Amino acid sequence: MISFVLRRLASAVPTLFIVVTISFFLMRFAPGGPFNLERPLPPSTMENLMRTYHLDQPLWRQYLIYLSNAVTGDFGPSYIYHDNNVAQLIGKGLPYSMELGFYALILAVVGGVIAGTIAALRQNSFLDFAVMSISTVGVTVPNFVVGPVLTLIFAIMLSWLPAGGWGDGSFRFLILPMIALALPQLAVFARLTRGSMIEALHTDHIRTAKAYGLPSRVVVVTHAMRGAMLPVVSYLAPCAAALLTGSAVVETIFTIPGVGRYFVLGAINRDYTLVMGTVVLIAIFVIVFNLLVDILYGLLDPRVRHD
Amino acid sequence: MAETKDSILAVRGLTVDFSTPDGTVEAVKGIDLDVNAGETLAVVGESGSGKSQTMMGIMGLLAKNGTVSGSARYRGQELIGLPPKALNDVRGSKITMIFQEPMTSLDPLYTIGRQIAEPIVHHRGGTFKEAKKRVLELLELVGIPEPARRIDSYPHELSGGQRQRVMIAMALANEPDILIADEPTTALDVTIQAQILQLLKSLQKRFGMAIVLITHDLGIVKHFAERVAVMRRGEVVEEGRTTEIFERPKADYTKMLLAAEPSGSKAPPPGHAPIILEGRDVAVEYAIGKGLFGGSSAVFRAVDGVNLRLRQGQTIGIVGESGSGKSTLGRALLRLLPSNGSYRFGTTDISGFDRSTMRPLRRELQLVFQDPYGSLSPRLTVGEIITEGLYVHEPGLGRAERDRRAIAALKEVGLDPASRNRYPHEFSGGQRQRIAIARAMILKPRVVILDEPTSALDRSVQGQVIELLRDLQGKHGLSYIFISHDLSVVKAMSDYVIVMKNGRIIEEGETDAIFETPREPYTKTLIGAAFNV
Amino acid sequence: MTDIVQVPAISPETKGRSLFQLAALRFRRNRAAMAGCVMLALIALFSFVGPFFSPHSYDQVFPSYVSIGPSLEPRPDTSTLQEVMESVAARARVTLEDFKVEGEAFTATVSSEEPIDPRATRYFDRANEFEHTKVVATEDDGRRLKLEGQVDREYFPFGTDSNGRDLLVRVMLGGQISIAVGLLASLVSLGIGVVYGATSGYVGGRVDNVMMRFVEILYSLPFVFLVVVLVVFFGRSFILIFLVIGAVEWLDMARIVRGQTLALKRREFVGAAQALGLTDWQIIRRHIIPNTIGPVIVFVTVVVPKVILLESFLSFLGLGVQAPLTSWGALISEGANNIQSAPWLLIFPAIFFVVTLFSLNFVGDGLRDALDPKDR
Repeated sequence: MISFVLRRLASAVPTLFIVVTISFFLMRFAPGGPFNLERPLPPSTMENLMRTYHLDQPLWRQYLIYLSNAVTGDFGPSYIYHDNNVAQLIGKGLPYSMELGFYALILAVVGGVIAGTIAALRQNSFLDFAVMSISTVGVTVPNFVVGPVLTLIFAIMLSWLPAGGWGDGSFRFLILPMIALALPQLAVFARLTRGSMIEALHTDHIRTAKAYGLPSRVVVVTHAMRGAMLPVVSYLAPCAAALLTGSAVVETIFTIPGVGRYFVLGAINRDYTLVMGTVVLIAIFVIVFNLLVDILYGLLDPRVRHD
Repeated sequence: MAETKDSILAVRGLTVDFSTPDGTVEAVKGIDLDVNAGETLAVVGESGSGKSQTMMGIMGLLAKNGTVSGSARYRGQELIGLPPKALNDVRGSKITMIFQEPMTSLDPLYTIGRQIAEPIVHHRGGTFKEAKKRVLELLELVGIPEPARRIDSYPHELSGGQRQRVMIAMALANEPDILIADEPTTALDVTIQAQILQLLKSLQKRFGMAIVLITHDLGIVKHFAERVAVMRRGEVVEEGRTTEIFERPKADYTKMLLAAEPSGSKAPPPGHAPIILEGRDVAVEYAIGKGLFGGSSAVFRAVDGVNLRLRQGQTIGIVGESGSGKSTLGRALLRLLPSNGSYRFGTTDISGFDRSTMRPLRRELQLVFQDPYGSLSPRLTVGEIITEGLYVHEPGLGRAERDRRAIAALKEVGLDPASRNRYPHEFSGGQRQRIAIARAMILKPRVVILDEPTSALDRSVQGQVIELLRDLQGKHGLSYIFISHDLSVVKAMSDYVIVMKNGRIIEEGETDAIFETPREPYTKTLIGAAFNV
Repeated sequence: MTDIVQVPAISPETKGRSLFQLAALRFRRNRAAMAGCVMLALIALFSFVGPFFSPHSYDQVFPSYVSIGPSLEPRPDTSTLQEVMESVAARARVTLEDFKVEGEAFTATVSSEEPIDPRATRYFDRANEFEHTKVVATEDDGRRLKLEGQVDREYFPFGTDSNGRDLLVRVMLGGQISIAVGLLASLVSLGIGVVYGATSGYVGGRVDNVMMRFVEILYSLPFVFLVVVLVVFFGRSFILIFLVIGAVEWLDMARIVRGQTLALKRREFVGAAQALGLTDWQIIRRHIIPNTIGPVIVFVTVVVPKVILLESFLSFLGLGVQAPLTSWGALISEGANNIQSAPWLLIFPAIFFVVTLFSLNFVGDGLRDALDPKDR
């Protein structure tokens, strides 16, 4: 098990390296730069800036500088948030994004799995139809529609919940953004669960369990659900990585000081280092969660034990 | 025994219907059956006869679109229409089942020990820990070696035969009155089939339960069952004691089934017949567990130094169980996969031939596959399928001429030529196999390798296909290599037999000699399993 | 299990039904899928043909009608006309004495202390509401003018946006862009994915290994963000947007096609074709491609809504097509910003957007059921 984890972590290094390399050169080959403002800066200022940020060096030098700094955890200064470097910015924003994302993940997984299971057990009933319709809405209506609508109803019309911001960090502030963030994923989980549950209920070993007179609760929970959870668990990795690293849309709509906005802001302002920092952050989350999910998968399915 | 009329399961007017998008299908049409205490009743029929669905209906295991009606009384208790809770008291306790597919019938996520314990715990109460002793006993009983270690194995760590033993252990756990065995040996190799059947028989003697054996295999029935019910298209066409049915069948269908047991033999070709295909030191290797950077990898020898000579007009039967390398050998001889050794076709040395140099020879060396469902491209019409080889070997042929040849080929294999504009999915298994044969025959080959061509077919259809293959051989002077695990078919088809095991030939000789005086113990087991049970 | 499928008796005259024909039959029997098809057709018709029947163009600004709500009544109504006329008169520094509207024509009488310059009619024409204003009578030495002209009445069934543009036409245009991006980007991803996946699967071995490893690495790149970077740094033209989206959406397609190809390669009919002596290319053309079409079609119906969502997401972040062009995503974003003052700006584009995605969803499910009936 430990050697499996170590091997996987070792193989993550080249992946990260390639991700960094592709992102770095992709950005730099594009026209424009961080200080090409509408009103051009005086040449001397420009020169100073370029020197401070090593932008006057040849590209390969910049790349090497970036790499060697990144290895030590220094992701460089942000070009637009002058007072902070990228690591600080992410360190400040990440807890907000992760807390919100964590609640959204719980809601999505628990809600989706329960809804999907019910739909599968009552296949083609009204309940199934209702769950599937709602999940179709969840999948098709993007959260930049859901967000404003939620605000309109619960914050403006009913005044039950705050419209945005983090406030004192109490749960009231989290409810609306959590729902907007979780809804599409909840829908995906519901559909996945329903599909794999229906498939699981048609397998031969479920027929065996029924033929041996096991109570339907045992048939469903111990035999069908455990097998049906496998594809759900696989989806957990990309979903968790996406939710925990923040959503640009939801954080913008609900004015939450997380890291989700940084990427878009960074990209629009050509804040190279900020963009690179968020890219690395997301890649690390994806890799770590893929590993966690693989371990979990091994615990659930004896056929893929990692020895 | 039947005379005592000690019926413990009485089925009366049982029907099973399936509602499909194309209307209702009546799978079982009001049948009557009795199972007597302690007897073995065989329910025999071909695919689609409703033999399995009858039992599924009684046990409440039909697919969602199926409905069952009529009556099935177990010791006076009506099972049809029983609420699931009450039915669960009977299922797995008084009546148990084992299924055809030992690979999928066990839950892959739990140890076999736990799965055997489940019916014990649920029907008798207690904890899984308390049930462990009983599970160990049961594993011992069904002949699983080292039960104490195996109890924590997962199904995928066991062989097919072992899994079926685990299923039997599960079925015996609560000492049932009736054990329903739904094609329990169909998915297993012949030698293992015999062991499983023997196990069932000895356990029946010991526990005295009745066994309902659902099967398509009359060979098993003859030696295993006391009574037989023959089913066809959802009806019981004949019922009676086994000896009577086999000696004096009344229904035409039963007679036909019995006659469909392959019979006849093939005379060897004259001694001066030229050798048409020869392979020497044929070896096929697969690398297993190859790393991305080509690290050291284990080599698996599927075929290991086989010599084979096929004379004009000869039929060589290759027999062996799954994994013996017989199919791989067939493909190697046709140069369809990378292999070592030297090969001759007629007088040409084809050892060094690659795909493009082999191409002109392909029309003379043809192949017919086992699965008539998988070997025909579902998107092409029958006409397109059988004329496919002509595109390669006679590209200049006009449309009309191709059509004429397609008609001739279809007639030759006994199919209606008007069906050449239809698609494969509209044909039955036997008809599809005829299409596959037509595809090979249209090229007028000299050698045809037949890879289990009858294994996926019902007995009655098998006989017809064998008849057709024999006819074609006589008419065109063909040479066959006939690959099969079914010894009765091989006996009827070939004049020379090769027995393979683990990629090697362990015995070979004239058919009569092999079947009458086998030398190797393995061959004896195979023959014993196939003809005596 | 015993198969309960009855093989229909073969009657010699009829031609067989191919699997595609059977699938089409099944599809036509699926009501939800057919309804989805009809809805999609209607929305496409609305988006692409609709603008020809609208008197307004998508970039036409009506300064007098900024952010007005949806209504089936013509704008302006008579009472507002009175107000508008008064304000116009005030701007022209004349007093409005009398104002009447009859049908499409109006008459007004204006007066002033000083003789009125007849060119003052220009003030009236300058307002959106009035046109062809002309002086029909001059009284009181030119201090009182009788004016006649046409009332220009506009219909804004969906209302107007905060720039005074007709939302109906904007929604039509947004539909054109969103649908076009959806289709074109899907085609791009289809092209790359099919070629890549089929090559990888058919060639197999080490080539397959390397090609799939590359795909895995691309998977760990943050997707949406890659699109954002590409769009920000390379510009926001329509062509780039669909190229970029297509270029990141092909990974799933490649995996699906590869899987299909690998599975087909093992099928016996491919083995049979090899035994007949067909070349690789003949096998790919006659056996592989026709059998991958089903799953690929189904997958395209999944990609199209995904792409539309991605495009709208870009637009929401302000990275979509540039104004005055628009897409549903951009319109929804505008609407979200004005949700309190002008909810119709969100409601109408959102309805079209959601209905389209719903319909695509049903069509996709229907196609899957039709092409792969064993799922039922």
